[in-house]
Amino acid sequence: MSAKYLAQGDLSAWLGALAQGRRVLVPVRENGAVVFRPYGPGTKPVLTRQADSPPKESVFPSTERLMEFSYSKDAENLGKVALDIKETVNAPATVVFGGRPCDARGFTVFDRVYDTKTIRDPYYAERRASTLFVTLACDTPETTCFCNSVGSSPVDADGSDVLLTPVDGGWLVEAVSERGKALLDAPALKDATAAAQDQAKAAKEAAEAAMPPAWDAAPAAAKLLEKFDDMGFWDDVSAKCISCGACTYLCPTCYCFTVTDERSGMKGERIRTWDTCMSFQFTLEASGHNPRPTKAHRLKNRVGHKFSYYPDIHKGPIACCGCGRCIKLCPVSVDIREIVRLAMELPTATAGKP
Amino acid sequence: MPILDELKAAIAKRLPELDVVIGWGKGFDALHHTPVFITSEADLDKLVLGPLSVQNLATYLTRYPKTKKIGVVVKGCDSRSVVQLLQEKLINRENVVVFGFPCEGVVDLEKVKRAFEDQGMEAARVSEASFQGDRCTLTSGGKAGSLPMADLWADKCNRCQYHDAVISDEFVGQRLERKAEDAYADVAAFEAKPLAERQAFWQEQMSRCIRCYACRNACPLCVCRDQCIAQTREPNWVSQRTGVEEKFMFQMIHASHLAGRCTECGECERACPVGIPILLLKRKNNKEILELFDYRAGIDPEAKPPLLAFKVEEEKINERGW
Amino acid sequence: MSKELRIIGFLCNWCSYGGADTAGVGRFTQPTDLRIVRLPCSGRIDPLFVLKTLTGGADGVLVSGCHPRDCHYSEGNFYARRRLEMVKRFLPVIGIDPGRFEYTWVSASEGQRWQTVVRGFTEQVHALGPIQRFGKDAAAMAAQLAASHA
Repeated sequence: MSAKYLAQGDLSAWLGALAQGRRVLVPVRENGAVVFRPYGPGTKPVLTRQADSPPKESVFPSTERLMEFSYSKDAENLGKVALDIKETVNAPATVVFGGRPCDARGFTVFDRVYDTKTIRDPYYAERRASTLFVTLACDTPETTCFCNSVGSSPVDADGSDVLLTPVDGGWLVEAVSERGKALLDAPALKDATAAAQDQAKAAKEAAEAAMPPAWDAAPAAAKLLEKFDDMGFWDDVSAKCISCGACTYLCPTCYCFTVTDERSGMKGERIRTWDTCMSFQFTLEASGHNPRPTKAHRLKNRVGHKFSYYPDIHKGPIACCGCGRCIKLCPVSVDIREIVRLAMELPTATAGKP
Repeated sequence: MPILDELKAAIAKRLPELDVVIGWGKGFDALHHTPVFITSEADLDKLVLGPLSVQNLATYLTRYPKTKKIGVVVKGCDSRSVVQLLQEKLINRENVVVFGFPCEGVVDLEKVKRAFEDQGMEAARVSEASFQGDRCTLTSGGKAGSLPMADLWADKCNRCQYHDAVISDEFVGQRLERKAEDAYADVAAFEAKPLAERQAFWQEQMSRCIRCYACRNACPLCVCRDQCIAQTREPNWVSQRTGVEEKFMFQMIHASHLAGRCTECGECERACPVGIPILLLKRKNNKEILELFDYRAGIDPEAKPPLLAFKVEEEKINERGW
Repeated sequence: MSKELRIIGFLCNWCSYGGADTAGVGRFTQPTDLRIVRLPCSGRIDPLFVLKTLTGGADGVLVSGCHPRDCHYSEGNFYARRRLEMVKRFLPVIGIDPGRFEYTWVSASEGQRWQTVVRGFTEQVHALGPIQRFGKDAAAMAAQLAASHA
């Protein structure tokens, strides 16, 4: 299918059409923060900058009910208790509109974990299947952007279904997946002129050129492993960390969760909620022992997982999309780029175990 | 001598007796400072000071063993946190060296972002920023713009009564001796709204919360940290669900546990990555503490905190009869 | 009076719980909206009990302890008085009517007074009606509760 053109004035018409029978999540401003919210008439999407919260909740909600359960006592024999379990999968048809390439690409990191040949998480997989991403290509990078250093680019279509590229008066609209094609069948979209296509091509090249010089993060995998036991290094780079979870919860690629049974009386639910490796409780064992007792251990895990363990397990890809939220929104500006760089540059004090 | 140089000299003087001195350094872009940890004279070059030195470094004091010798650079508001930590015996006076300076205030980066956005500039794409006198000049995306600092100061600075550190071992520069009024007008204005509107406000604000606990962890007085009751299962104050009710419950825990202790450094609100105005809850408690007990936290290390004391006849609490 | 509401009472073991008992023994009739939780002392009451109860769906919270100077532990209720006054003053900022929370003092012999307190507070909470709960599930939960009562 050839590319389409969306005029700025037709944006709400297209959003309105997309919202027919679907949940459309768009970035909106709420008290200074830009977050994804369901689109409704009158909603004003913020498309000029990266949203503060990524659209992670669309496929991976912060709280997800896995099942409901209830106990019922047998009136004849009170010792006999029946347990009733109901699985609940909630996968509404959704379009995430106006996220950035990094936002959509984040889910490709999830896919390798939750939807594989051997393991398929039905809750995740069903929502992934019911969610489409209409992504807005970036033009100019923010000071925290580094997607080009982790194998991506500001116009990367990986993980997206439709890619919008800014051109004069609107956007060039391209389907970048099979599923995305269906979304282009809308009256608000006109066939793109050759000029618009050329313009988009130039815009993409300009966006890539506008990025700061890329550095190669691949060698970090071995270096971080080498520094596993170099706690002096980790103490230094984690000195300013205050151990909150902003970096992980705002990360489009952080996929860790915890499962809890919340029970009240004779019924309850089993829920899956986001968890963060920056928290003391993440690895706290029932005995009271904690293999990651300090923030240095925990920061080591965050950086190590993204740039070493994950690429090792999954043969290459880095579990970071370079969106820079963990830097930008960190209360004390912990900079993961700097930590990775230092890990690659500084000599290792204590050699890591093989 | 510029204040920064005086500060460096003062730190250099005390450094031999200290394990570490915590100050601010350049951050990842022209609009950010970040905490730096100085252990040698060479590190002193990293030190910066100015309206971007937003973090309250007192929050790190309780992250070290009490026996460590620590120096900390404090703004006026931060110094109150130090006083409060001393009052609660959470740090040893003899092991902490406080470096004070006359603080003109810090900017609210949220305000900077919005104000420049109105000029069609993105603070997140800043290449240069300077704070000269009463103007802030920013270059972003090839455009340059300028704004009066008066529009950019953090709210806490506009009502600041403690520009000069209330406690310090080394004070560099000339004290400002300036005091603004603070009649808690923001709290009164909020409480003038109908009840349902107030509840709806929190409902909406808290729906954005991602429960990262940055508010808690940035707070210099939230010292339970890994043992916080918000995350324990026994007692289970806050469930694992991330509903508004749970998220707001934590804010009530935070506000309650800070009643009579909060020094209004505003770190909770500043740290929030999604801009939830939670300082209001703490200011509300402080307003009542001031009214009932004529007390402000973080002024006198020897004072008795009002909620750990009582009078047989309370002057300002009416016995509630039926 | 309208449909029964949920009012939670936190009572100290030594005075107010005794007072409630005295009221029962004396057959002083009272509204039945109140559910009592017995605690060793009003000084045991964490302000969070009140906040958690009110945001957890209770329509009102009543705290009652020994009269000042009569505390079984000498000074528990003196500390409680300051904390409870603070929590009462805190409620407006979170959008909860301060009338949904009261604290008072009732001794073990004051059965009559207990009746007055319960009647008065129940009326006060009824005048305010059912509480609006925090959280988006609030409506669903209320419906569920109504169904389970029916």
